[in-house]
Amino acid sequence: MINMNDIVLVIILLSVLLSLSSNRLMALVKYMAMQGVMVSLLPLLLEQHSRIGSGGLIFFQVMILIKGVLIPGLLYIALKRVVIKREIEPIIGYHASLFAGLIIILVSIFITERLQLSLPQGRELLLTTAITTMSAGFFLMMSRRKAITQVIGYLMLENGIYLVGTALTKHAHTIYIVEFGVLLDVLVGVMIMGIILNNINHTFDDIDTDHLNRLKD
Amino acid sequence: MESFCTIALAFLLAPLYPGIILKVKALFAGKKGPPLLIKYYTLLKLLHKGSVYSTSTTFVFRLGPLVSCAGAMMILLFFPLGGISPIFSFHGDVIVLFYILGIGRFFTISAALDTASPFEGMGAAREAFFGTLAEASIFAILILFYRMTGALSFSDYFIGAKSISLDGTAGALLLLVIVSLFMVLLTENSRVPVDDPATHLELTMIHEVMILDHSGPDLALIELGSFYKLFFYSAFIFLIVCPFNAAWGLFNLPVFFVGISLVYVAIGLVESGMARFKMNLVPKFVLTSLILVSFAAILTMEFIK
Repeated sequence: MINMNDIVLVIILLSVLLSLSSNRLMALVKYMAMQGVMVSLLPLLLEQHSRIGSGGLIFFQVMILIKGVLIPGLLYIALKRVVIKREIEPIIGYHASLFAGLIIILVSIFITERLQLSLPQGRELLLTTAITTMSAGFFLMMSRRKAITQVIGYLMLENGIYLVGTALTKHAHTIYIVEFGVLLDVLVGVMIMGIILNNINHTFDDIDTDHLNRLKD
Repeated sequence: MESFCTIALAFLLAPLYPGIILKVKALFAGKKGPPLLIKYYTLLKLLHKGSVYSTSTTFVFRLGPLVSCAGAMMILLFFPLGGISPIFSFHGDVIVLFYILGIGRFFTISAALDTASPFEGMGAAREAFFGTLAEASIFAILILFYRMTGALSFSDYFIGAKSISLDGTAGALLLLVIVSLFMVLLTENSRVPVDDPATHLELTMIHEVMILDHSGPDLALIELGSFYKLFFYSAFIFLIVCPFNAAWGLFNLPVFFVGISLVYVAIGLVESGMARFKMNLVPKFVLTSLILVSFAAILTMEFIK
């Protein structure tokens, strides 16, 4: 009755938009968790007519676990360790980011129209969402200063790439693409861990210099 | 006849629902909270009192409460509460009605400026600013609805031939509309993330500071008007979430009046869970709602060709 695909896609777009406008890093991580779950739910909903083998089902469940729980969990831990609560001075402000989001979606609709791919029925919105998510991820990486926000932008970009894969394939031999996606995820996980360590180093440095400044006076 | 009963019920019950918000907030704070009928007691108390008018005010000051309350009552007359056809309806009534609400706001602001109190002037400026931003979102919603239904009246939106519902052609987009309409509701009715109805510091008030000089029956009218306005926005959201079938007749009424309290519970939850924004963050909040709807309006290009 209610078209579940479209609802999932709209929720993905909602999370993209909210993450462009949010200045709290904790909220950003929550949006990413929501987006991850939705992105990994999508293939299940798309392929409701053709059967997915039990292997495929397990695969998608693992993906929900990784995208919805593991990666946001890692980010959460990273945020807990680092004391930063919010992005203070983004390179492009929040109002402008929101407006850029609007332009991004316009452009991605235009691109979808112009590409004229022979998409399966009802996947035009999927491709639009995918391109929007990708470009918004790029935008987030470019326009924020904090390393952790840039990683979130990278994750969003990766979600978008995965969505493009889902939109274009008919899931006949998807296993490779999905595996590739998960590989990228793991890569991001490693990156996050690197940032945790890096940031801890940074904070200790900062504390040290503060102490030194105070001593000087 | 049905329509008249519905409207009468709505007018009677509207002051009950803000009590629900208070109850929810009290439950979250671990308190017992005021009784559910608290707003009726407040209204009765205010109506028993007399009004005090400052000698420096003119007739504009007395006009403010009347006009704002009448505007809020009028919009309910045009709204298909619970899927029952409204008393009045014509093509294009949505635009008229939102501007009638605007007139109400205009008179509240003029009344506030009429007192010549600096605090009230400050509140009036803020109210005008945020109201302008919220109006943009509302009209973006109307544009979207026009694209979806081709109609411009509340009754066509909700009980017409091509009424909007979540399982329609572009139904998924309504999710964006619901989120954005809830943000507009919080802004327009001066609820917590934007304004705090329980604040006691004039510098931080928006709506409350404008009505500081009103007393007695005037204050009761203002309160009543704000209850009706809140009721209208909640009904708007609830009808989008859960469209009613006009064929069910009076059976819709209990469902509607119970269901709408869910919206109020949601408001209560938001108010308990959030602190209010800094003043400079409020425009971002309102603009987010505008962008959400614009998103949806752009996306209709995909659905409706």
